Amino acid sequence: MSDVTVRHGRPNHWLKAAAFTGLVIGALYAGLPVLWMLATSFKGNGEVFAVPPKLITPGFSLDAYTAILTDPARLRFFMNSYIVAIAVTLLTLLTAMLSAYGFSRYEFPGKKLINIAIVSVQAVPPITLVIPYFGLMVALGLYNTYPGLILTHMVFTLPYAIIMMTAYFNTLPRELDEAVKVDGGNAWTALWRVLVPISVPGIVAVGVYTFMISWNEYLFALTLTRTDAMRTVPIGIQLLMGQHSYEWNQMMAMSILGSIPVLLLFLLFQRRFIGGLTSGAVKD
Amino acid sequence: MSMRRRGGPRLLATLGTAAAMVVAMSGCSGPAPGGGPTGEVTIEFAQWWEPELPAGSFAGLIDEFQKENPTIKVKLLSAPFASTQQQMVAAAASGQLPDVVGLDGAWVSDFAKQGAIADLSPLLKADNFPEDQLASQVKVNGKTYMIPVVNFVYPLFVNNDLLQQAGVSKAPTNRSEFLDAAKKISALGGNVKGWALPLDTAVPNGIQNDVMSWVWASGGSMLKNGKPDVTNAQVKSGVEYVKSLYDADVVAPGALTMKEQDKVEKFTNGQVGMVIDSLAHITLIKKNNPSLDFTVAALPSEDSYTGKRGIPYASWGIGVSDKSAHKAEAAKLVEFLMGKDVNAQLSTLANGFPGNKTASPDFSKSDPLFKTAFDIYQAGYPANEFVGLPKSDHLQRTFDEQLQKTLTDSQSVDQTLTAVQSEWASVF
Amino acid sequence: MNLSSTNIEGLGVRPAARRPAARSNAAVVRTRRLAPFAFISPTVALITVLTVVPIVMVVGYSFMDSAIVAPNPVFVGFANYLKVLSDPTFLLALGNTFVFISLSTILHLVIGLAFAMLLNTSLLSDVTKAIFRVVYILPWLFTIAVIAVVWRLIMDPYGVANYILTSVGILNQGVNWLATPGSAMGALTFINIWSGYPFFMISLLAALQGVPTVLHEAARVDGAGWWQRFRYVTLPHIRPVIISMAVLDLIWTSQQFALIWLTTGGGPLGATEMLSTYTYKQAFSSFEFATASASAVIVLLLTMILAFFYVRQQTVRD
Repeated sequence: MSDVTVRHGRPNHWLKAAAFTGLVIGALYAGLPVLWMLATSFKGNGEVFAVPPKLITPGFSLDAYTAILTDPARLRFFMNSYIVAIAVTLLTLLTAMLSAYGFSRYEFPGKKLINIAIVSVQAVPPITLVIPYFGLMVALGLYNTYPGLILTHMVFTLPYAIIMMTAYFNTLPRELDEAVKVDGGNAWTALWRVLVPISVPGIVAVGVYTFMISWNEYLFALTLTRTDAMRTVPIGIQLLMGQHSYEWNQMMAMSILGSIPVLLLFLLFQRRFIGGLTSGAVKD
Repeated sequence: MSMRRRGGPRLLATLGTAAAMVVAMSGCSGPAPGGGPTGEVTIEFAQWWEPELPAGSFAGLIDEFQKENPTIKVKLLSAPFASTQQQMVAAAASGQLPDVVGLDGAWVSDFAKQGAIADLSPLLKADNFPEDQLASQVKVNGKTYMIPVVNFVYPLFVNNDLLQQAGVSKAPTNRSEFLDAAKKISALGGNVKGWALPLDTAVPNGIQNDVMSWVWASGGSMLKNGKPDVTNAQVKSGVEYVKSLYDADVVAPGALTMKEQDKVEKFTNGQVGMVIDSLAHITLIKKNNPSLDFTVAALPSEDSYTGKRGIPYASWGIGVSDKSAHKAEAAKLVEFLMGKDVNAQLSTLANGFPGNKTASPDFSKSDPLFKTAFDIYQAGYPANEFVGLPKSDHLQRTFDEQLQKTLTDSQSVDQTLTAVQSEWASVF
Repeated sequence: MNLSSTNIEGLGVRPAARRPAARSNAAVVRTRRLAPFAFISPTVALITVLTVVPIVMVVGYSFMDSAIVAPNPVFVGFANYLKVLSDPTFLLALGNTFVFISLSTILHLVIGLAFAMLLNTSLLSDVTKAIFRVVYILPWLFTIAVIAVVWRLIMDPYGVANYILTSVGILNQGVNWLATPGSAMGALTFINIWSGYPFFMISLLAALQGVPTVLHEAARVDGAGWWQRFRYVTLPHIRPVIISMAVLDLIWTSQQFALIWLTTGGGPLGATEMLSTYTYKQAFSSFEFATASASAVIVLLLTMILAFFYVRQQTVRD
């Protein structure tokens, strides 16, 4: 929307104030729990339950962060998360772009059935798959490996990625492909030389979404790994919830640290991200 | 030749590259278990103990084992208790348990029925291991599937400061004294309550530790000839007592979804005066609140009871996978950990009591409270009737759900026990 | 039922009509026929191996007696289904799940839309909006295990939420939000809304940015007020996004497990028992894999109804 709404001077001030108040109230709702998380990460473990609750306690320290950043096992969790999330993002984008091109540009037998299957895959409750999945991963030799985790996360990220990428390709006129072919190219070059470069915002949007899903996935990352060498950040955080007590400050510090890459990713791409997420879906 | 045809091979080439990338990454994964080139055997040992012991100490013991048995390499797979169970269940269901596994008494019956864990007796006999040294063995249908390596008893933890402020001179020894002390502590006001009762149904072990323990402490039992018998007078009196504590408002708020961690947390922070808790927590409590003045005592019994008191315990149990290709080597590791000296050493490290009767823990290095607890332990007998029962977790959850109804006054104690009895009977 | 076209199909593109006649030799036709399969083959392979196979295995277990736990399970037909469907706990979980996912989705939508509209207003500067945009997506950045633990901490009887509410005088004494049967479901839904609205917000924000300004201006010239412009211009435009997001959210929320498990475990008194926690308890603590599988298949069938509406909605949209 442009600034055309600014017509009368006075009511606009009131509206502005109202909008700003609304934003602040929303920000309190969104941000206070995160602020509490941050505050807890600086507390001593005994101060977490102090009554009355305090934001900043006498035991304020960065020990929790030091403990995590100097522990090779924890750093390994971060590395594992990066490896898995980046690989999942790249492979999901590659696979989704290929499929999206197929769905967007061709008619073929079984297309509807496959479409429905791809959409339905999202409806499978992951918790129910844990047991057979475990056996399958062991049988394929993928238990406790990066590829096992990467392929598993792709199962969850692919459907959404395909749906969005197809919608996005659908908004691009077919004449583009035809032009490439007239110039001596083929479907393959049309996809990579023309469609993909134009679709960068959509790709970024799907990529960020995919990265977030993979970075935060918990159930399968827990079930399909068994050594610290393979575990990811969410599991590392869970390891701090012992049988008998929580390492509150470290748990919070680790999740704050874990959120930073995702936050940076969002900041880096937010313009394109917001432009891309539904530019495929809303194509009037 | 059409230009389009080139799409196929190049597509395949790209996919091939992607596949190669995936395969290359699998090279980063850990080495496959199994035999080495020199007749060396690698066995895997999954447990939740290593993270709970002083850093490096468990690996040290394992190194010692590898020195004694140069042809056996042990790979430790360590995970915290909470995630261990889910992984073990999934692994057992797929016949993929590691060679040697840390076991909780609650899992044994089901793993044994699935054929996931092996009968240990023949393995120990083959090595002439003196079985009579073992303090206990967990059997299913007469076969030994789990040996408790270290036992952790659950005495009553008492906050001395709160007790004193409330005007109670000594730790309560029977139920009346306990109720009285709990009331006085709760009357101190603020956020302080006398007792904590964690009844979260996700991990329902509050039933054995915090509810049935009252029954066992007075010599009661919830079983008769190995079958459920929860409607007997002793169980009823125990549950009624718990209900009376709840009704007297001396229990920390939030009991219905409280977890064991919360209980320890509240005691550590002086919000609860008395809890029934694992001896293993002494170190943790002292670490998180060095200024807390507390002691341990025997669980209070019925007022008129004079016999020996059952004291609840949890174990680090050990078992061998029935699918293991190296059972003999796995048994060697079990025997090593159960051996007199190593077992004593491990118990001392873990702040628990040894699973080998002849081993004596070294109290000189440990907290004086352990000596107190050891005396309590020796004056009574270890009691945890859930160990080795089928679907132990499920039994406790059923009990928990029914008990919650009683506590919230939607059914009587008798109705609860009758309901539990019939649900349990269907499991046995 | 019109399923002739789903969202993933072309924009009314009919390839046959466009194919240049000159290239219609046999080889080209064959390539043309095989090409789409080559494009979708990685996806189809992955989904077949990693979801269709395990789903078929689960369906298999659901017809067996004591699947997995016994060495030789016996085929028992629909016995497990009957057992599950006659289990009062299952029916309770079904009802709770229905309440949980409906409330969550509606409120995700309302809050997501409200925040998106605030962030889309022309009244505030771009910098202000960019800052708030970052604050508003914060809940999305954290793994669910931590969200559960933080909210347990905040909602503790002596936690900061009760402290604030009692200090301000709204409450006389602290409430055990997650431990009281009457408030547990509300508290859990509240947490779930917090953790899930950013995705709605972002998607709706993008949709709002796509609403042509011209339409708003025209409506304004015609004397339409704020509500009328929202009702007759904005809403129809973003409706497709709202519907597809809502269906996806219903599916995703019905699968929520970790949050429930780590906060209430399905309690107190079954107040927050959901299909996901019920299934988990059957499998991992009762070792009833057969009934767990039957319950899973029922959940799968129910969610597939949603998936079907999703596909159909997408069809209508195109």
